[in-house]
Amino acid sequence: MMFANKNVNVSFIFIVVGIISFIFADLSISTLHPFLETSRFFGSIVDINLKNADYILEALLNTITIAIIAIFISSILGFLFAIVFKNIIVRISLAFTRSIHELFWALIFLQIFGLNTLSALLAIIIPYSAILGKVYAEILEENDTFPDELRGKDKISYFIYTKVPDAFPHLVAYTLYRFECALRSTAILGFVGVITLGYHLSSFFNQGYYSDVWLILIVFYIVIATIRYWFNKYTFIPAIIASFVYLKDWGELSIDNLIRFFTSDIVPAPFKYDYSLDKTINWFSNLFFDEIIVGVFNTIVVTQLSLIFTAFFALLFFPIVSKKFTKIPFLGHIFLVVLRSTPEYMLAYIFLQLFGPSMLPAALALMLHNGAIISFLIGNQINVMELREDSTNKKIELYFYEVLPRIYSQFLAFLFYRWEIIMRESAILGILGVATLGFFIDSAIADFRLDKMFLLLLVTAFLNIVIDIISKKSRDYLKVDKPTSSCGCSLK
Amino acid sequence: MAFHLENHTISYGDVTILNNINLSIKKGDRVALLGRSGSGKSTLIKNLFDIQKENSSYIPQELGLVDNLSVFHNVYISLLNEKSTFYNIRNLIKPVKTELNNVEVILEKLFLKEKVFSKVTNLSGGQKQRTAIARSLNSNKSILLADEPISALDENLSQITMDILDDKFETIVCALHNVEIALKNFDRVIGLSNGCIVLDKKSCEITQEDTSTLYDVCK
Repeated sequence: MMFANKNVNVSFIFIVVGIISFIFADLSISTLHPFLETSRFFGSIVDINLKNADYILEALLNTITIAIIAIFISSILGFLFAIVFKNIIVRISLAFTRSIHELFWALIFLQIFGLNTLSALLAIIIPYSAILGKVYAEILEENDTFPDELRGKDKISYFIYTKVPDAFPHLVAYTLYRFECALRSTAILGFVGVITLGYHLSSFFNQGYYSDVWLILIVFYIVIATIRYWFNKYTFIPAIIASFVYLKDWGELSIDNLIRFFTSDIVPAPFKYDYSLDKTINWFSNLFFDEIIVGVFNTIVVTQLSLIFTAFFALLFFPIVSKKFTKIPFLGHIFLVVLRSTPEYMLAYIFLQLFGPSMLPAALALMLHNGAIISFLIGNQINVMELREDSTNKKIELYFYEVLPRIYSQFLAFLFYRWEIIMRESAILGILGVATLGFFIDSAIADFRLDKMFLLLLVTAFLNIVIDIISKKSRDYLKVDKPTSSCGCSLK
Repeated sequence: MAFHLENHTISYGDVTILNNINLSIKKGDRVALLGRSGSGKSTLIKNLFDIQKENSSYIPQELGLVDNLSVFHNVYISLLNEKSTFYNIRNLIKPVKTELNNVEVILEKLFLKEKVFSKVTNLSGGQKQRTAIARSLNSNKSILLADEPISALDENLSQITMDILDDKFETIVCALHNVEIALKNFDRVIGLSNGCIVLDKKSCEITQEDTSTLYDVCK
């Protein structure tokens, strides 16, 4: 390509795609008084009271216990998946499972098992174990400093002696991060009826009880910010046991419903009702042209736009949590924790009130949420980065000469990993009214047309797998240290 | 015969690393490889290891330690192939007494015993090198192939380490850049420059002129 530096090449392509998306994106602001409701919302923070604290406490305990059990089971499954991740069938099935958002999984399990703890847990565990499996596999691959030539035949022994120890702190750190995500995902399950924080949050919001919304948000921020104090190596075993004891309403595994779901509910209508050929073609072409094409296009546009927004946000804001750039990283930390702890749903919803329905609320919500996560991850890396004693004191020079070059590849890697997630989130934000795939999936469920829902989910998964492949290829392309093979004359 | 190379050439792409090497090393030989970085020492050592994998213990220049494991476990790694998987896992969770004793005896000789349960990542460069050396000493191999194993050790410690290695291994091929240590501790010295052998003699037959050649190739 035109640039000598591969990082620059890749960045350039993404910026161009981002600009093209910008041209096609509907970013209009349609509200007449966008700031009235918002100022009411922000103004109500001073009216916080505890009259609904009982509801919130119950929802909080549900949220935490579901998240704990979900991450516990997911991390075990994830580690097992990571070991066999080289297998192409495993890779494809995991790519498929994790490409479907936990809210969609929840909607599916609600159809099958009803509204109970089991459905909630499955909705988290299924995509999370797939995500953990993939990332664990990558961590194990990256933390592999032991020379191949010293590795012997006993694969298991070498695996646990030479790979696991170096990877272990990273595995734990990632699992803890995923636990935070699980708390957020569990909270959001409230939007579809599980009694977690999101349930009360959305109902308070709809009723205009903004001060209670604030109380929930603040409680949630505190819970997230203090994870390390209440979920760590000393407490996690009792916490898991206590969660199993606390959670009730497990429901039951209704095999009949499961069978009906697979053999009847999701069978496309033309096959189920024996449509004529014309009608069948009509059914599929309507679905394809009116929903799939539109949904895929809009999902891609929102994704690429949000990705670029996210990148700029992260590059701009990572210094605020780094001791090398600021004397008060604590404040930056709070800012980012607040942003990334707020479910992107809520953010999108707030922006929807501000600007009216368009792609703008979704893109902004994804930028703030994902950008905050990447800023935080990079900021932490920079804090442990050791610079020379005599490196420059000038912040801008420090940023461009010492820090950015060192973290840029890592930054792109984070961005590539978030890409898939942004795509998942772009799809799900359709539920709020942007015509991405989630919009059509949600409508299909509302009409109880699960056959359509299923096909649209397949398309969503397929799109995500394509992104996954491009992401993998890009990371391979950026990896400079390819093993040089010898000419073959070395052994006689 | 431990190793026998005839007209041996290795190149990566257009770059020739080893050029037409002829080399025989007998059992019991103690060979020092001298040369500056880029002369092909490391490639040659690694090549020799590929030839005699089963009988050799190899210390690569980057040492190949597992940073987050203790010194004890890193030293024990040399035995992974010989013990059962179950035993290895058990030893990872709780060190087996006999293994620990064996490792401690080795570490004591290298003045590293108090670090036995330290993580390698917390060690100094010299301590890391001694850990890698201890790993080789803990193996049951007869040949040692080491790439600059004592570069971070002081003179006294270098000498002690070389003596211990001498006692343990039947055959030694060791890349070095210190001419004095090479002549003092090895029966035979080989000078490498740009992938070619420029000198290959017994230490006792080295002349003044040879010494200056060796200093030259190491410069």
